[in-house]
Amino acid sequence: MRTVTTWKFALSSKMLGYIWQYLFSSFLRFWFKWFLRHVTGKCELQRICSGYKQGAPRTSRAEYSLESSKSTVLRAAVSVEEDQVEECAMAIMKEKKVISQKDPEFKMSLQVCLWQISGYKRLYASVEDLRKQSFDCENNSHENMLLRNYQAVGRYRFQGDDPKTDFRGMGMLGLTNLIFFSEKYTEMARQVLSHSVHPKLGYSYAIVGINLTEMAYSLLRSGALKPHFYNTVSQSPKLEHFHQLYCYFAYEFDKFWIEEKPESIMEFNRYREKFHEKMKALLQEPDVSLCLTVDSKL
Amino acid sequence: MGLLSILRKLKSSPDQEVRILLLGLDNGGKTTLLKQLASEDISHITPTQGFNIKSVQSQGFKLNVWDIGGQRKIRPYWRNYFENTDMLIYVIDSADRKRFDETGQELAELLDEEKLSGVPVLIFANKQDLLTAAPASEIAEGLNLHIIRDRLWQIQSCSALTGEGIQEGMNWVCKSVNAKKK
Repeated sequence: MRTVTTWKFALSSKMLGYIWQYLFSSFLRFWFKWFLRHVTGKCELQRICSGYKQGAPRTSRAEYSLESSKSTVLRAAVSVEEDQVEECAMAIMKEKKVISQKDPEFKMSLQVCLWQISGYKRLYASVEDLRKQSFDCENNSHENMLLRNYQAVGRYRFQGDDPKTDFRGMGMLGLTNLIFFSEKYTEMARQVLSHSVHPKLGYSYAIVGINLTEMAYSLLRSGALKPHFYNTVSQSPKLEHFHQLYCYFAYEFDKFWIEEKPESIMEFNRYREKFHEKMKALLQEPDVSLCLTVDSKL
Repeated sequence: MGLLSILRKLKSSPDQEVRILLLGLDNGGKTTLLKQLASEDISHITPTQGFNIKSVQSQGFKLNVWDIGGQRKIRPYWRNYFENTDMLIYVIDSADRKRFDETGQELAELLDEEKLSGVPVLIFANKQDLLTAAPASEIAEGLNLHIIRDRLWQIQSCSALTGEGIQEGMNWVCKSVNAKKK
């Protein structure tokens, strides 16, 4: 009997939570903001910009505030073009009747937020573009990219004769990730590649790499990478920043794999999931920054 | 039968579990098929390192589907998954004519395995959405399927991408498991 009552209690408190959330977001939030606006003399965006330091804590709150605004100017601001950010910030200030003399830092803070918020969306679009281009052996520039990569770190195997089938799902995004890693962090990439040919703990370098591209891509798509980019890039994040994140994944996953000592390559998905959970947990932290630090020992 | 007894029957008979092994060469479409069965997103599937497993409810069965990577390097591990298999699904890329011999060889070896003896086999002639795909009849002939006498078998043309033909194949799977269990 006891368990039943606790269950009912849990259910009703969950329901109360939902009701509260609904009431708050659709009705109370407005009055709450109205009240604070009159007490502090600042609009919500100003309070966010002055109350939180630059990075995910500030930008995520600003994003939520813009998206749930009643004003179309503010709602549209999350998808502003890169070269329109300044005008957009001024339009928001006009709409919200913010006087810049009274809050001189606000405009710049707001611009950084807008660059980051709209930049994340643009980054997803360009990553998606690259993913949709498929690798083509007949295409000389694609073939050359692969050769260049072999020269940097050494040759690694694909499943069959045609690497194209391995890049399925991730297309040129997978290849550019691999190349970026071996060109920018050559020593680290060589180290990872040398682990991958280990007789017992070895794995397919290219295929694991492509699977990690998929992980980074899916996290980007779901929005889970926002805190990372808001913390580490104070402008619009670019493709290069996505490649940097991939390098972090490639290096850290290899380290994780070696430390965990899996029984064989057949365990890959279990450890992949474990690593995925680990990354998701890190991304929950407000000051997350998934950056590769170059080890001085290398 | 009254409503009450139907409800009771639904409640009292837990789903029968069926272990299905999904094998075939790399890039055949095994993972896409698996995700298609589980109604998941198939837009960005990558090569399988190791294996994937998913449980799908179908026609009163709980199908535990094991999708094992097909790259040459991990084919030696296939045998670790043979035990207690109720159904083998072998996936062929019908457009990859260059590797028809290789895929036939692998299939022949599987059918020779002692641990898989008598296990019904469904062959999916996948990628029928491609213009260059060979029809199922041609593949059946190439693989000499008609000489199989020691088990139930079926070849089904399908496209894991569009979902076409998959339901027909799975109907055969459920029917054959039923026939075998009785």
